[in-house]
Amino acid sequence: MILSGWQAVFFWLFAISAIFAGLLTVMARNAVHSALFLISSLMSVAALFILLGAEFIAGVQILVYVGGVMVLFLFVIMLVNVGAEERGSAPIFNSNRQVAASLVFCALLVFGLVIAAGKSDSALSFIYKVKEDTAKPADDQPPGGGPSLPVAGTGVARRSLETERVGTRLYSYASLPFEIASVLLLVAIIGSVMLARTLKQEAAADDLAPEVLEQEVQREPELATVPHQGETT
Amino acid sequence: MFGFLTNASLLLLQTNEGGSAIVNKMQHPDITKFLAISALLFIIGVAGVLTRRNIIVIFMSIELILNAANLNFVAFSRYLQGTSAANPVAGQIFTVFVIVVAAAEAAIGLGIVIALYRNKETILLDEIDLMKW
Repeated sequence: MILSGWQAVFFWLFAISAIFAGLLTVMARNAVHSALFLISSLMSVAALFILLGAEFIAGVQILVYVGGVMVLFLFVIMLVNVGAEERGSAPIFNSNRQVAASLVFCALLVFGLVIAAGKSDSALSFIYKVKEDTAKPADDQPPGGGPSLPVAGTGVARRSLETERVGTRLYSYASLPFEIASVLLLVAIIGSVMLARTLKQEAAADDLAPEVLEQEVQREPELATVPHQGETT
Repeated sequence: MFGFLTNASLLLLQTNEGGSAIVNKMQHPDITKFLAISALLFIIGVAGVLTRRNIIVIFMSIELILNAANLNFVAFSRYLQGTSAANPVAGQIFTVFVIVVAAAEAAIGLGIVIALYRNKETILLDEIDLMKW
């Protein structure tokens, strides 16, 4: 869109910040530094979402992506304790041939991006149809006319109906994928709990086959004394 | 490589002077810059996935890739707002689902990393070679 004035300033600020933080995510030596750079990249992209008028998605990104997924990453980094190795001079990238091959692949992607952008006018022209109506709504008015939006609390801008539109469509057109997404999250929760259990926890929950339990007891004798939960008849 | 970088930066700096096909700038916003940003983030994420040894940093690069796709979706959703498309907010709806899938995938992937660390005591991809012939 034609970003004017402060919008252009903020666009360039957050765009450069997102790319710079993304680059540092990939190149940082310490995994915690990578996580923090990724957090700042995600916040910059959330600001870009707001510039595009998608306030709901920006809020979801900050709450779920940064507040949930990245915190999970930091917890796992803490559990796995990578800091000690990365502080030394251990190589953090693959061997030189692999790095060169991946850089060639990325150069091909950049090449494709440049070619696609060079033809951008003709490539995107099939998407829209030229409309003849003379009513050209301003940027902060609802498209297609209609009553003008109420003024926001600060008196500077107008309230946006974007979240309402997204919510309406999400629950009417996309209700089936919405329910499937909730089932997907349930499966992910169960799967991750099952994947991260220790042998002691599995023994306590009686989830080990008897012969496996005997094998493990030979290696770790204290497994035999794990208190079992109440058995069902 | 430097030529590509120059071209990419020229792309980002260009104004809409050659946009004779774009009739009404208010109704058909120019999202080329946002698409370029998203493509650059995607490329950086792909480079991270292909070159790092640490599994957790590879997962973070995957999140960067998914984020770039989200930016692309939302940019197109904004692009379709003023047109007569059937469902102009479809981009933002799909973004919600991409975030859901990314969260689920991160949870399971990190569970696998924890289980792997318990058994092999390492998270560097070079040293996890049990399945190599």
